[in-house]
Amino acid sequence: MIARMAASPRVVLGAALVLALALVALFAPVIAPHDPAEQDLMYTLLPPAWAAGGEALYPFGTDSLGRCMLSRLIHGTRVALYVAVVAAFGAMLLGTTLALIGGYCGGRVDWLIGRAVDVWMAFPPVVLALILLVGLGTGVNMVIIAIIVIDWTRFCRVIRSEVLVVMKRDYIPAARLSGFSHVQVVLREVLPAVTPLVVTLLSLEMGIAVIVEATMSFVGLSVEADVAAWGVMIADARQFMNQSPWGVVLPMLAIFLAVFAFNLLGDGLRRTLDPRLMVARGPAA
Amino acid sequence: MSVLAAQGLTVTLGRGVEAIPVLRDLSFRVGAGRVLGLVGESGAGKSMVGRAIAGNLPGTFAVSAGTLTFDGEDLVRIAPARRLALLGDRICFIPQEPQTALNPLMTVAAQFGEHLARLGVAKADRPARILAALDSVRLRDPASLLDRYPFQLSGGMCQRVLIAMAFASRPALIIADEPTTALDVSTQAHVVQLIRALQADYGTALLFITHDLRLAARVCDEMLVLYAGEMAERGPARAVMGAPRHPYTRSLKASNPTLSGPLRRLVSLPDQMPGIGSLRALPGCRFAPRCPVADAACGAAVPGVIEIGGGQAVRCAPGCLAGAIATDAAGLAMPAVVASGAAPILLLEGVSKHYPGRRAWHGRRAPGVDAVCDVSLDVAPGEFVGIVGESGSGKSTLARLVMGLERPSAGRIVVDGTDVTAADRGARIVRLGALQMVFQDPQSALNPRRSVARLVTQALEAADRPHDASDRIARAQELLRETGLPPDLLQRFPSQLSGGQKQRVNIARALCVTPRLLVADEIVSGLDVSVQAQILNLLLDLRQEFGFALLLISHDLAVVRYLCSRVLVMHHGAVVESGEVAKVFADPRHAYTRSLLASIPPDDAAAAWPAAAPRAAEPV
Amino acid sequence: MALIAFQILLRRLLLAAPIVLCVSALVFVVLRLLPADAVAMSLPPGATAADYDRLKAELGLDRSIFAQYMIWLGRFAAGDLGASIHFRRPVAELVGTALPNTLELVAVGLVLGVAAGVAGGLAMFAWRGRAAEQVADLAATALMSIPEFLWALLLILGLGVALPLLPFVGRLAPEFALPPHITGFLLLDSLLAGRAATLGSALLHLVLPSLALAIALAPLIMRVLRSSLLEVILDDYVTQARLRGIPERTILLRHALRNAALPTVSLIGVQAGFMFGGTVLVEVIFGYPGLGNLMVDAVRNHDLPVIQVVALVYCLLVLGINAVVDVLYLLINPKLRAA
Repeated sequence: MIARMAASPRVVLGAALVLALALVALFAPVIAPHDPAEQDLMYTLLPPAWAAGGEALYPFGTDSLGRCMLSRLIHGTRVALYVAVVAAFGAMLLGTTLALIGGYCGGRVDWLIGRAVDVWMAFPPVVLALILLVGLGTGVNMVIIAIIVIDWTRFCRVIRSEVLVVMKRDYIPAARLSGFSHVQVVLREVLPAVTPLVVTLLSLEMGIAVIVEATMSFVGLSVEADVAAWGVMIADARQFMNQSPWGVVLPMLAIFLAVFAFNLLGDGLRRTLDPRLMVARGPAA
Repeated sequence: MSVLAAQGLTVTLGRGVEAIPVLRDLSFRVGAGRVLGLVGESGAGKSMVGRAIAGNLPGTFAVSAGTLTFDGEDLVRIAPARRLALLGDRICFIPQEPQTALNPLMTVAAQFGEHLARLGVAKADRPARILAALDSVRLRDPASLLDRYPFQLSGGMCQRVLIAMAFASRPALIIADEPTTALDVSTQAHVVQLIRALQADYGTALLFITHDLRLAARVCDEMLVLYAGEMAERGPARAVMGAPRHPYTRSLKASNPTLSGPLRRLVSLPDQMPGIGSLRALPGCRFAPRCPVADAACGAAVPGVIEIGGGQAVRCAPGCLAGAIATDAAGLAMPAVVASGAAPILLLEGVSKHYPGRRAWHGRRAPGVDAVCDVSLDVAPGEFVGIVGESGSGKSTLARLVMGLERPSAGRIVVDGTDVTAADRGARIVRLGALQMVFQDPQSALNPRRSVARLVTQALEAADRPHDASDRIARAQELLRETGLPPDLLQRFPSQLSGGQKQRVNIARALCVTPRLLVADEIVSGLDVSVQAQILNLLLDLRQEFGFALLLISHDLAVVRYLCSRVLVMHHGAVVESGEVAKVFADPRHAYTRSLLASIPPDDAAAAWPAAAPRAAEPV
Repeated sequence: MALIAFQILLRRLLLAAPIVLCVSALVFVVLRLLPADAVAMSLPPGATAADYDRLKAELGLDRSIFAQYMIWLGRFAAGDLGASIHFRRPVAELVGTALPNTLELVAVGLVLGVAAGVAGGLAMFAWRGRAAEQVADLAATALMSIPEFLWALLLILGLGVALPLLPFVGRLAPEFALPPHITGFLLLDSLLAGRAATLGSALLHLVLPSLALAIALAPLIMRVLRSSLLEVILDDYVTQARLRGIPERTILLRHALRNAALPTVSLIGVQAGFMFGGTVLVEVIFGYPGLGNLMVDAVRNHDLPVIQVVALVYCLLVLGINAVVDVLYLLINPKLRAA
């Protein structure tokens, strides 16, 4: 299975990009040429070094307060990945657990979970996020909680329907007849069958989490205004868009790169791990 | 003058030296008003012939040699536009799966209308033409069908609509690819008869593709038996069925359980038909590795065609034709049945299962379904009991009730002297100790993520059965040996097994904790005849060894006759007839049992079939 | 047909009623978790403790959450949506002006997005097996990695700042006066008033924001349509139609596309709901006077009465559009229609 994943250019490229971003985030203080909060009022709104008027000292230029763009972008990676990983795992745990419970038990439990999903789906995610952040207060951890509370439905909906497909297969009653307890059936027969889907969704969800964090910091509801986060950088630079488009473009590129990496990985995983294709090819192939 | 003639037709996969001949040097002809049967098990390449005629061979398959002459034109080299003009007009197809062959979003009138438009029928004339065509296939009240969608029709009705469409242009040639396989037995007889009647009326040439040797003998004038893309035998249908000469045809006939005559052990060829991938390793006779009479020379060179006379011919080495196959002459004795007067292992008293209808939002309940009504039965230790019925007769629900996967709405279920009706914890323990089930479709019943070793010993994973890893491997090896599987399969996954191997693994898993009663739901219905014979014989051998009882659920009367001593016939959830197999089959009392028996082509090629008038008997 | 559609729509909306109730309760409770003190924030400087208590009682904030909710619900049912703390105007009036603008934006965005998505899906299907398909596929993944608000900024940079072709602030150029209020929809009202220039300006102001929404939607539709076409083209009835001599083009348009439309339509239903979420930031970025701008303003000022009504309106819009899409789905799928 690993060999097949490695053969998919999407998975390889996506994983490589994610790994690169993770390294950047991990070693941010080492890589960044400047302190992201250090202001140099001599050089404000500098273009990148390669553009006319650029300074080699600031490879990606500076913002309106003369802070190093490159260093801020590098430190922004930390915020983005922290939210991506924690929020996506949280949403996955909550959504998958409820999907397994609902799909396996059926009946009233399933009905209740299904109606909860209906209520959640009535909110445009951004609107629900705004309401939650008004209620919970702002901050990056609140954004994470908001993402988990909002996006568990993405996992729950998709995985529940996959659980129902698996439940129709005869190997589920066969396992019961082999003497398995319900918990054993769920953990040994149902969960492994939906794991590829969970992994795929997890990767895609990380991309979504990056977007939500950027959106919320753009509106000023995520990190403190002086923390280097991509959304904050875009919001700051927006007022000076006419003089210096770079201030908007570079953090946008960073967001794009991160989301693209997760989408590419998720997309590649979906193609290689698709449960429908699994049956045809066999997991050991 | 033949309508369709194939001469040396060869279809290959891939090109150049790498090319694998999937169909090799096939020649046949079918004349106007005649029926040619293409007979073979799955993988024989019989559908490939139809696809070559239609010019839609998949991907990298191509006709590399030979001709396919239709009405003076070679279909292999015909211009695409010309072929498009022939298809649907002069050459028509009747599909295997009628319900999916109609567009689910279009009404009968819309699809039929589209077809007539393609035939150039003026818009004003179409409604009348459609009604006449639907009437000609003996559909009751055709006008009411016009606005129906395929999902509102039964499989038999859909197939009649498709037959009407195929015959609408009075084509010169019709290719019917397993047209009755997806239908119930009783519908099958009527549909076959309908195709034959229309074909005879219009003088159409019919290419009838089927896996069922007995059906082909009934329907066809001539037949061509295919094995791994090669002709094994051809000739007049009755001659081939009555006195097959090729070792494969002979084995095929001898591996089919019969409805009459003395019971003898079925011939079961080893293994299965080679897949496309292994054809390259078979330069000579492709049947040689499984042939009971082959010698070393057979595998080396392709044998020539030997004309036997009377139009019958085989592709076989002259020496092999004389060789006898074990059961041809004497017939192996069936293993003795252990008679037992002991208390029943399973007892059902007045068991019913009612599914309530859905409650509508305004509180009214739709009428429910009585899947099983008032069924009583008993199975003695070591006894093989069969339950026969068509799809929807409630036989699978009955199996689930026995196993405790469903709870009965009424009645009592007793396993080994203990009442397990309640399906509580105690009942579960009793059931787990005494019962096991073999599911119908191994594809669905075997978790694709478990290796064979972990599948067959799955029961050891249950919490109350402590074991260590070496115990488990030892038990797995034992089970594989007992079910006739090679030991190197232990670490394989289900997707790497053949259909027959999967079903053996399925059975091995049920045997892991040595049950006293095995419930088997349609366990051979998806298998080819020669593989089916292997599994049936395996069950007989295992009974000798383990002495378990069997509750066999099947739609196939011949299979039940072969294995079981007693039979229950189910219809609409109720048992309509039961008794000793020999008695019920020889002298059926209930009308339903009689119609069920009548719908199967009899073994005797001279007997009339189907006996009943189709229109009266067919429920719409 | 129309009658069936109407009945189904009605039933769907009835079924949505309990969801609306749950949604409103959820919004109400979440907003009461607020650590900030809305009363203090809305008092003028120099207010006394008595003023504080009076305002608190006036806003009903001194009772239990459940009691507050029941009061609010009662007033809501009576048509009293309350008054904005920040804007000091009735919420109904604020929503009344903003809602038509958002609807216009979503309608145009949806039409553009679906059109582009369907065209792209058909193109990708037509290119199947060729290099162009791979490129388009990768491009779709890339496009999907850019959220609406980044598209908004990119479009402003590209077509507003670098090549100043299109306006990107507000709903209408400042030199035009609003047409007389008839429907509240600017496009309709200026059409009805016969003001071509106003209509033109309004349309131009719609181009960039609706494009931002459409570009985010199109790749999703494109991919789902393509993959369902690829699945459907292998179905038996397609093979059977081929065997009847039906030309490929007819097969694609009459048989395959309609069947492939089913999953695409349900995707559009879900995504249309999400699109309302997308408008929030797009409106903020374009300074477009819609619900999103109102919402973000209200959030920044902790203007609870506005937040809860606007949130509820969003949910009603999502449920409404889901109901419409469901009806559409039922109309193309006879199997569900019969059930």
